[in-house]
Amino acid sequence: MASPRYSLLRTLIPFDIYGGMKLTGKYFGKVLRQANRGLKRTHVVVEYPEVPTTLMPRFRGRLQMIKDEQGEVKCVCCMACEKICPTQVITIEKGKKEGRKTPFPIRYDFEMERCIFCEFCVESCGFDSIILNHQFELATYNREDFSHAMEGGFQNMFDPTPVSHYSVSSED
Amino acid sequence: MFKTEEMEINLGPQHPSTHGVLRVKLHLDGETITRCTPMIGYLHRGVEKICENKTFFQGQVWTDRTDYVASVSNNLGWAEGVEKLFGITVPRRAHYIRTMLTELNRITSHLLWLGTHALDIGAMTVFLYAFREREEILSIFEAFCGARLTTTAFRIGGLREDLPPGLEKLVRAFQARFLDCIDEYETLLTENRIWKKRTIGVALLNAEDAIALGVTGPVLRAAGSNYDIRKAFPYASYAEMDFEVATQTAADTYARYLVRLEEMRQAHRIINQCLDGLPEGPVMAKLPKVLKSEVNEVYHAIEAPKGELGYYFVGEKGGQNPYRMHIRAPSFINLQALSKMVVGRLLADVIAAIGTLDVVLGEVDR
Amino acid sequence: MTPTLTQYLVISLLQIVVVMGFVMTLVPLLTFAERKVIGYVQVRLGATRVAGGLWGAQRGRTHQSRTFTGGLNGFMWWLGRWPVISIFRGLPMFIADALKLLTKEDIVPIEADKAVFVLSPALAMVAAFTVFAAIGFAPGALFYFPAKFPYLGGLPFYGFLTDLNVGLLFILGVASVGVYGIVLGAWASNSKYPLLGGLRSAAQIVSYEVPLTLSLLVPVVLTGSLNFNEMSTRMATDIPVNGLVGIGRTLLMFVGFFVYTTCGFAETNRTPFDLAEAENELVAGFHTEYSGMKFSFFFLSEYASMITVSALASAFFLGGHYLLPFGLQPTWNHFFQNSPSAFLAWTCTPSILWFLLKIFFLLFVFLWVRATVPRYRYDQLMDVGWKFLIPYTLVMFVIAALLRYAA
Repeated sequence: MASPRYSLLRTLIPFDIYGGMKLTGKYFGKVLRQANRGLKRTHVVVEYPEVPTTLMPRFRGRLQMIKDEQGEVKCVCCMACEKICPTQVITIEKGKKEGRKTPFPIRYDFEMERCIFCEFCVESCGFDSIILNHQFELATYNREDFSHAMEGGFQNMFDPTPVSHYSVSSED
Repeated sequence: MFKTEEMEINLGPQHPSTHGVLRVKLHLDGETITRCTPMIGYLHRGVEKICENKTFFQGQVWTDRTDYVASVSNNLGWAEGVEKLFGITVPRRAHYIRTMLTELNRITSHLLWLGTHALDIGAMTVFLYAFREREEILSIFEAFCGARLTTTAFRIGGLREDLPPGLEKLVRAFQARFLDCIDEYETLLTENRIWKKRTIGVALLNAEDAIALGVTGPVLRAAGSNYDIRKAFPYASYAEMDFEVATQTAADTYARYLVRLEEMRQAHRIINQCLDGLPEGPVMAKLPKVLKSEVNEVYHAIEAPKGELGYYFVGEKGGQNPYRMHIRAPSFINLQALSKMVVGRLLADVIAAIGTLDVVLGEVDR
Repeated sequence: MTPTLTQYLVISLLQIVVVMGFVMTLVPLLTFAERKVIGYVQVRLGATRVAGGLWGAQRGRTHQSRTFTGGLNGFMWWLGRWPVISIFRGLPMFIADALKLLTKEDIVPIEADKAVFVLSPALAMVAAFTVFAAIGFAPGALFYFPAKFPYLGGLPFYGFLTDLNVGLLFILGVASVGVYGIVLGAWASNSKYPLLGGLRSAAQIVSYEVPLTLSLLVPVVLTGSLNFNEMSTRMATDIPVNGLVGIGRTLLMFVGFFVYTTCGFAETNRTPFDLAEAENELVAGFHTEYSGMKFSFFFLSEYASMITVSALASAFFLGGHYLLPFGLQPTWNHFFQNSPSAFLAWTCTPSILWFLLKIFFLLFVFLWVRATVPRYRYDQLMDVGWKFLIPYTLVMFVIAALLRYAA
């Protein structure tokens, strides 16, 4: 707070605005000098499609099914994920497959348009058969493209999402 | 020959400064406001009703989507409310981590408030500086739980997982530079004559009116009351924390600004204490496979960044979901004060008042 | 050699083309500069690429390679490797902006007063651009046409359009017509937000014309002239080298510069006085209902008047066509006029370069201030105008008169 003694001077001469101008000017100069692809940088933007973004290991992306080393579906149709899902985006149909003791999911449908990426399904799974992968470029042009299925759907539950135009690319 | 009439003007629902889909019907005499009616409901999704049809476990994801800039606080309110309903004791380590993340979330919420409020008043740059720090905290959330905004951070009974390796380093790095960042915002705003003119004496709401309207949070504390649930009814591990409740007496926009800045500094202090005193141990309590409630009701309130956030649960016998659930949303209740604040003032003060109330329409409409 | 009437007309026409071309190029560049300067201040990069997906980025469909190095965006990307000059990334953006504004649908609201609605942007634009007729970019002849030049050989090409002996009055008079464009456009929109913006603008102009003119009276009193070139030259050079009067003049010009620039900010509707279009309160203020080219006329006129204000400030307070501001040039000349170094001797002479550099710097200040300060409220703006700036300028005026008397 301005002391009353100097308050007239402070009213007549805008030191306060000068302080702000100094700060913004400092940042302008810094960014002007560092707005290149050097190591030290003040600006915070990522030039996204060209420069890769970094994700944290626990990032929650698209739901993906996992196969074990034999190429066999790990899911045993315990229905835990279907039950826990707050938005009911998972539909599983239980069935049998020759040469497999545990139940086999005939259908495992995932409607991504309603998915809220809460990871409850992965948490509920006792068999580590699903994960949320690190894909976040999930936009598509058609609503149908959001439906995932094990086979026959528009997108495969096992495959990574096809990379779209704006893909994470590496600079070199 | 000439007649004068009041002009009715709709501020919103599509307007740059109503922070979402708030519609304020204003009656203007020149630029002076004679009547002000906030109209809400454009974002109503029926969260409370949905939660009554979901299990206690599932309901948490909807709390992310009420006050979406303070989702961790909402998660905490939900989780602690349900824990209270079932009498679950959460491990101490989980409490500490919860406290830390909630305080980080308080900083993000206040930073977003600071940025948008300053932007509304015309200072554009603070917005980007505030978001720079906010991004850093969101990365911390991403490291902890995998999502930046709709975190679903906690679980009933504790946490899903312990802190990931390296998170402490991230938080420490943030802590190291955050106080300097607050000083930067202050350089741009606190002493600035235009900022002071725009905020001092604007949108006054004295403590009596605030209490009568049920207004809580920084708006109440800027009026001189020191009601802070973290001190009054400690939850999580706030009882073990050493911090002060920021208060001001001027009850205007400038006072609220100072209160929120001070709250960020106190949050910084609390986070440091959480990191230093982080106890070892499990992060999840032993829970039954399925939570089935008795006939019971609880109200659990926490100090969300915007004020008192209360969750009210009514359990029925054997029910897996709440029979009735109600959210006492601070934004919704604080918004009532808007017309009291702005009648008789100028149009530009409405923008300042909406900003200073720090409403999030997701929470107002639920 | 005196030109014949036709030669005179041809040269005038050429001069008009050059000056208008300069302003018309500077204005879109200014919008680009605004993006970049405010971006850099806000620790981001501003516009960095143009027409993404048309030339550069689309080739980078295979995400592992750097195939986007071709094309326009590739060039932009390459520019980003260098510090400082990387500010020119996204420079073609202003062409894209202009194209967008030209091709946008031109909407006239049904309830609008159509004739006024169409005329007011033109009024604002014409007023803002006519001002340049009286601004002297260089005090004398910019260059002489070489003798072999057909028809015009040996004739001077002046750095100003007219050497009007009431230039300052002309500038002030015409510039203040521009506000009618804003007020009428706002009224003609027949919409609520523009109405508020127009009212604010009218009140603002009434309050700020006074201190603006009063602060310009200081150079008028000191030089005793209204001619732009004479005033700017005499403000820069016609000062006693030492003595109290010289110091007093320097101080007065220093303070006067800030006061005039402050009024200029208000006059041009720039932050912190951009109440007429306060986007956070009035959506877009007076031009809410305007689109396409009509909107861009308002836009252009705002930026053109920024250039005007910068030109006046640099001419009358920052030493105009001379190197040093605030009347320090005579002292400099005293030491370096007869310097053996050709460069130092050159710094003692007037040049259009200094003038343009000062204009560019002031334009940068406009953007810099916009990035820093909040916006005044309507009534506070009046307070600042009437209770702060007018007394300030009146005191300055009296001091200027005393200095004139003493000299």
